[in-house]
Formats: sequence, structure tokens, C-alpha cells
Amino acid sequence: TVCDFIFRLKGILEFACQLDNPNGVQSQSTISKSFQDLRSKVTSKNIVFTVCNSPVLIWPNTGFQSSVESLTEASACGDILQWIESDDGGSKKSSKKKDKKKSGPTVVNMKLLFEVTEPAGNTAPSLIRVSTQQHCVKMPLPLDCALSVTTDERLETVCTGLVEALNKQLADMEEVVLQYRKGSSFLVPQPFHFQLPEPAGLITVVYPAGVPDSQLQAVREDLHRKFELPCDRPYLRRANAFHFPDAAYKDGYLRNPHIHLNPPNIEDAKLYLVQGVYSYHHYMQDHVDDNGWGCAYRSLQTICSWFQQQGYVETAVPTHTQIQQALVDVGDKEPRFVGSRQWIGSIEVQAVLNQLLGVTSKIMFVSQGSELATKGRELANHFQTEGTPVMIGGGVLAHTILGVVWSENTGQIRFLILDPHYTGGEDLQTITDKGWCGWKGPEFWDQNAYYNLCLPQRPKTI
Amino acid sequence: MGRSYFVDEAVGEYLSGLQAAPGSCVTGLLAGQSSPQRDFVVLAVQTPHRESEGQLKAPKGVSPLDDIDVEWVTEHAKQVSRMLPGGLCVLGLFLVTPPELSKDAQNGLKRLIFAVEKYIIKGRLWELSEEDVTDRVTLHICSKTKKLLCKTFDVKDPKSSAKPADWKYQTGISSSWPMLTCSVEVDLQIPVTGSSSDNTDKCMKDGLRRWAKQIEAAYCLINGRQALDDSELISGQKKNPKTTNRQTLPARIFVSDEQSELGERSSALVQVCSGSMRVRGVVHCRAYIHNNKPKARHAAQAIKRDIINTVCSRVEMFLEDLCINEGSQKGLCSGQQALPRRVFAPMPISGLSVCDYMFPDESTADVAERLKEMLDCETPEEDIDTSLENNQCVALAAAIALLATATSLLYFS
Repeated sequence: TVCDFIFRLKGILEFACQLDNPNGVQSQSTISKSFQDLRSKVTSKNIVFTVCNSPVLIWPNTGFQSSVESLTEASACGDILQWIESDDGGSKKSSKKKDKKKSGPTVVNMKLLFEVTEPAGNTAPSLIRVSTQQHCVKMPLPLDCALSVTTDERLETVCTGLVEALNKQLADMEEVVLQYRKGSSFLVPQPFHFQLPEPAGLITVVYPAGVPDSQLQAVREDLHRKFELPCDRPYLRRANAFHFPDAAYKDGYLRNPHIHLNPPNIEDAKLYLVQGVYSYHHYMQDHVDDNGWGCAYRSLQTICSWFQQQGYVETAVPTHTQIQQALVDVGDKEPRFVGSRQWIGSIEVQAVLNQLLGVTSKIMFVSQGSELATKGRELANHFQTEGTPVMIGGGVLAHTILGVVWSENTGQIRFLILDPHYTGGEDLQTITDKGWCGWKGPEFWDQNAYYNLCLPQRPKTI
Repeated sequence: MGRSYFVDEAVGEYLSGLQAAPGSCVTGLLAGQSSPQRDFVVLAVQTPHRESEGQLKAPKGVSPLDDIDVEWVTEHAKQVSRMLPGGLCVLGLFLVTPPELSKDAQNGLKRLIFAVEKYIIKGRLWELSEEDVTDRVTLHICSKTKKLLCKTFDVKDPKSSAKPADWKYQTGISSSWPMLTCSVEVDLQIPVTGSSSDNTDKCMKDGLRRWAKQIEAAYCLINGRQALDDSELISGQKKNPKTTNRQTLPARIFVSDEQSELGERSSALVQVCSGSMRVRGVVHCRAYIHNNKPKARHAAQAIKRDIINTVCSRVEMFLEDLCINEGSQKGLCSGQQALPRRVFAPMPISGLSVCDYMFPDESTADVAERLKEMLDCETPEEDIDTSLENNQCVALAAAIALLATATSLLYFS
């Protein structure tokens, strides 16, 4: 099922409790009681959802009331869009070129609020003082619920669903808090969303803050079993968290520029693409002037970014210096290599991936460029099973191959190329228009040069 | 360009009717509302006579101006501030002097206005925003010629000099001012660290300040509409200046628990406390906004400040009272006690209301006495509205009765 909308509700609820003795047997029930109070709070009449960038307020627990007359319990959730002001010139909605593809479901952001007016009673305030030694615990719970729905789903159903999700999230948070508590040390439970293959869809998992992924293996194993996920690739590491279409990436790199392109229409051919998310690394980024020598380094950075974002590694994408140092460390280069402007090739890329990321790669050798057209099957297989970006070096250039369109019958082939030689800024329009990320035919390769391809392999881990 | 003060005619009548003993001065407060374009004065109250415990104070200085009890004037200003609903505040002072003191009056007024401002803002839980008017008015009246001299001082700048201002009388200035109302549920759990009474006060202040920030940041609906931006509060209505109907606009407030200081924590904040304090109950709030094209967000600000002020005032009053009763034992006692509850009464002249706080052992007679002393007006007891906040004692009494019944049952069984 194609989901048109994701309704995302965020809010902070303060968890507070007083413990007489944090190590005593009573403390667990005190903590649970506080969570019970919070669950009552979210099912009370006082909670309100506000739709960001709009005048819409919804009271979900009063038989659906909204601040805008035309939105009633019978309204379809898509009706909410007309009330939302887009941030800038509305360029999000209009696509400028015909061959630009829609970038996924529309996200409707909502915020959780509590009404403090219209109280049930009218009794003037009292001051209640307690004088027992206690540990006062306060913790902000970062609630974050998301629901994928189709346009015709009723708004009322969405809101009821969100209230249920809040309740469940509080229950999940209670479990995590109790499990990782040591005396009066409490870890903040943090929700992460993951887009799993159907039928699971968009799910939310609560992880304790500060506990690294490596220590949460058992939790992931349980979840992989529960959702029937393959046990050889990560789906639920923090890095795998779903990236909401409307959120910008803080580091400024473009993600998956290729999705804005339409693949070539070749008769009888199938599309084999890189899986998951990578960042586009190219010349001149990070204030490093590597114009003319750094292309293979940039392709390697793109590959490293893929392993990081699929959750296989937590280390940052390496700099040119770190790449060079790694080669010295494995004995492949002399120490004076570090700081030089020397080129590297597929073999070096393979060595660095192994040294810094623990990733093994296969090397494919092609004695002349014209032969690449015959490698359709191998590349198709690679993208199907591993789905990692491929670094290709030969002649005097290095590139990244992100996919192929290949016909088993006719042998026709096109290559999706990400070019690290681009020296401009992170301008998606230019990058796609001018073919810095684009589909190329077999004539793209130097027909006479020999090429080496580095095909990184996914480690078998969750 | 000086400021323009639009003053209710009845205020003028009050000022003309003031009697000063020959050769002496009369001080007093002016209250109303400031807006960026103009200011409105709806109340004038002379400083009440201070009972100086039997002894006649020997004149301190050469002139009666030096005899002005600055401390008493500021205390009066603070008490009157507590009695003003949201949107209204002490805007300035007046000073009546005999003609021979007229030229020294300006200095006296300047000293007083800065002292008053400093004292009023002590303990206040919200900060003035950039848009708030910081000019305060000083009005000098010559007791012989009745001539008025109106000037303003910018209380943000201690070095500022007096600027001329206009003082214009009009009738029924506030008769059509809309009144914002709401009842707000308060439930604050405040941990107390340390055991001295100073600690109790500081913890209470910190806890209230955090809550006040939540209220200031809260989402606000006024009369069903968002009150965020520069849109007019009452748009699309035919302007009828002759109408005497005062609109009541209900306000609704929505908070989130977002606290920037807790921010991106990965673990809970744990404090070892010697106890805790909880403020729990419902407060009734009111604010007035002028009707010269008011903006929705100014109205929201006015009602929010009233919410913060009313909780803060009654806690302050309670703790002051406690200091007298419990002394150094303050931090160590347990139990539930009612905070003073808010009652409303009609303001002299303008048809607006003022408020006061009634301790559980007080009656409307006490309120009437305070209104007379602080606001110089007679209020019939039946005009004092005590219905907006319910008496806590009813609930407490019921609980005690239940306990007593249970105990006696136990005893006799």
C-alpha cells in the first residue's frame, strides 16, 4: 500500500517522581505509578494536538473537536493540507522538471500540548508541604509518534491512532526506564522510527540514551525475530532510523541525488540500484582542494557514508589524511604518503575499507573499457545482493557506479554514475541537470583503458 | 515627540478633590495601561496615611519634600499592583505641592518614580519585553493654582531626563475595553533542597519561575482564535464607540513541558531533597486590553502575565505570613494549607474590576477595609465577588469531617 501521509506528533512530557529509597523495593511501583499518571494525562480531555504552521488545534479525546469549523470527525486527513502554510516559496509542492519524481509521502508535523484552562473544578490553590528526605527525579520524555496513512483515512481515526501510539510509547518508555535503571540513575528513553518492509511498515523502537548500539544486540535480535527481518543485515540500529522527507540533513551533504532521475527506458531491461542511503562526496568539499587528484578518495568517502548510514559502522566518514594514514598503517604506503596528492586506486580503496571499517570487498578487473558493457550480470547481481555503491578506477579517472539498467536478453546496459569530479556546491538542480549524477551508456568508459572495480560486501550482522 | 496620556475625567475630579494640609505635599499613584502609541490612565489613588506607631516623626529635612516616606510610597505601589488585573499597572505618580515647592518637585518625583519601579519589579517572574513601554508618568499639581505639569521618565535609564508629555481628559476611557478571562489549573511539584527557610523561598521561586516560563511560552487562543501575531484582536467588527457593552473574551492556554535547561539530557536530573512543596488548585484570571486597535498577542501577553502574577502574589503573601507565624520553623512543617483566594470588586470610576486576596480566616469586611485603605474607595461588601474561586476550606473541612467520623467509629467499635 502506498501511504500518502505521515502524521508525526512530537512533544515533551516531564516524568517526575519522588523516591524515598532508590534502592528499595517500593521504588519500582512508585516509578510505574508516575508513568501511569502520564498515561492518564494523554488520555485526558486536556490534551491538544496543534498542527505546525497552521491555526489548527485538535482535541482528540473529546469526540474530536477542532479549532477550525470545516475540519470535523468526518474529514479526510488530506483536508488538513489546505490549512498548512509552507515554509518558503512553496517550491516543495511544485516540481520544476517533468522528469523529477515525487519525493515520498507528505509529512504533517504536530505538537502535543496540554490545556491548563477550562478546569474541572474551581477550588482555589492550596500549598501542600512534605518534609521527608526524598530523591526527586525529573526527566523530560521526548515523545515522538508517527503514523503512515492514506489520503482518505479520516482525521479522527488518525488522531485516535496517535493517542494510542502515545500510550504505547509511554508503556515502552516505562519498560526501558525500569530495565536500565541503577538506583537513582535513570537513562532517558529515546524513540526511533524505522521503515521496515511491509507489512510492518513504519515502527517505533525506544532505546535508552547513552547505551551504544553494540550493547543492544539482544534487543535487536528479538525485534528481528518479531518482525521477521533477515538476520544478516541491520535494520534497527540508530543510524537506520527513518529519515523524514521534510527534514534537512544537518551536515549539508546531499543524500541519494539519483532518486530525482528517471532511469532510461530500455526495452526488456530491469533496474538494479544501490540500496539505502549514501551521501554525495566530491571535489572541493570540506575545504579540501583535491581538484585533479582526489576523485578516488571522494568515491571512497561516498562508500564509507553508505556503511555509516546503513548502521554498519559508527565512525565518521574519513578525511583524505585519515585515508592516507590507514594505507600507511597497513604497510601499503610509506609514511610520506600522508599529506601528499597522490592518486589511489581500487586496491587502495579495498584496503582502507578493510582497515577503517572492517568491510571486505571484491575486486573485478576489466582489461578494456569496452568490456564493461558485458559485465551487466555481475553488476546486477551485486546490486541485488549487496546493494553497495561500487568504486571504479581506470584511465586517469575514478567514479562511483550506483546502479545499472540491464537487459538479460539483449545485453543492453546503462550505468548510473555518481561523478566525484564536480567542484560546485550542493545544488541538486545543477548536479542532476548537468549529469554529475546521471545515466551513461557504455561509451562513457575509455574503450581502451583497463579498469578495476571495487565491490564492497555487506558484513553479516544486525 | 512626547507621550500622550488619555485620562478618565473622573481621575481629574479625584485629583481636584484632594486636600493637602497647608504647606505639605500629597503623593499618590496613577494606574492604567500603556500601549506603544498612547497611554491610558484610569485610576488615581493618594498614598494612604501611615500609622506611625504613636510617635510623631520629627521632620527630617528642610522641606516637606524630604519628608515624603519613599518606603511607604513604594510599599503602597506594590500593594496596589497586586490589586490590578492583567493589562493594568502602576503607570506613574502624582505629587501635589504648595507653589513654593514647585520647582523642587521634579527631583522629588524622579527619585520616587525610580524607587517605585525598582520595588514593584522585585520578585516579578516575567521580564519586560522590547515592546513594553518603559516610560512612567509624573504629574505635578500646584495646590494653589491647580496647574498640572506632566512629564515622563524612562525607567530603563537611570540617567534619563524628564520629557514633556500630554495630559488629556476624556470620559469613559475604559468603558468598552474588552475583558479577557480564564480559569487556570495549577499543579506544581517543587522539590526543596536544604532545610532553612531561605532555601524554601529560593526553591519556591525557582519552581515558580520555571512554571512562569511555560506559561509565557504557551499557545494561546482568545475567543477561539490563535493569538500569535500582529492580527487585530477584534477584527471585522463595526466600530461603535458609543457602545457601553464590555465584551468578555475567553482565553485558553496550552502548555508543553518543554524546558530548555533540561534540553538534550541523556539521564534524569536527580536531587536529594529534604521535602517538597506542591501548589495545587484553580486560579481565576482577568486582563483588560484597550480598544484602540489592540493586537492579539498583546492581549495574550496581558492574560498570561495575570496568570503568573496571581499565583506569584498569593504564594508571596502566604510565605510572608508564614514567616511571621512560624519563624525559623518554616522549612520543617508539613501539611496542607489554603493559599489566599482571589476576589474581585468594581474599581472606582471606570467599571473595570480590581482584585484582592482573602486568607481563609478573613471575610469580605476585611477586603472592604483593604480596598478603602489602598484604593481610597468605599466598596459595599455585597459588591465583592467571592464566587470565582471556591473556598478550599470546604474541601478540607469535608476531609477532616470524614477523618473524624472514621476515627470515632474506630473508637466506638
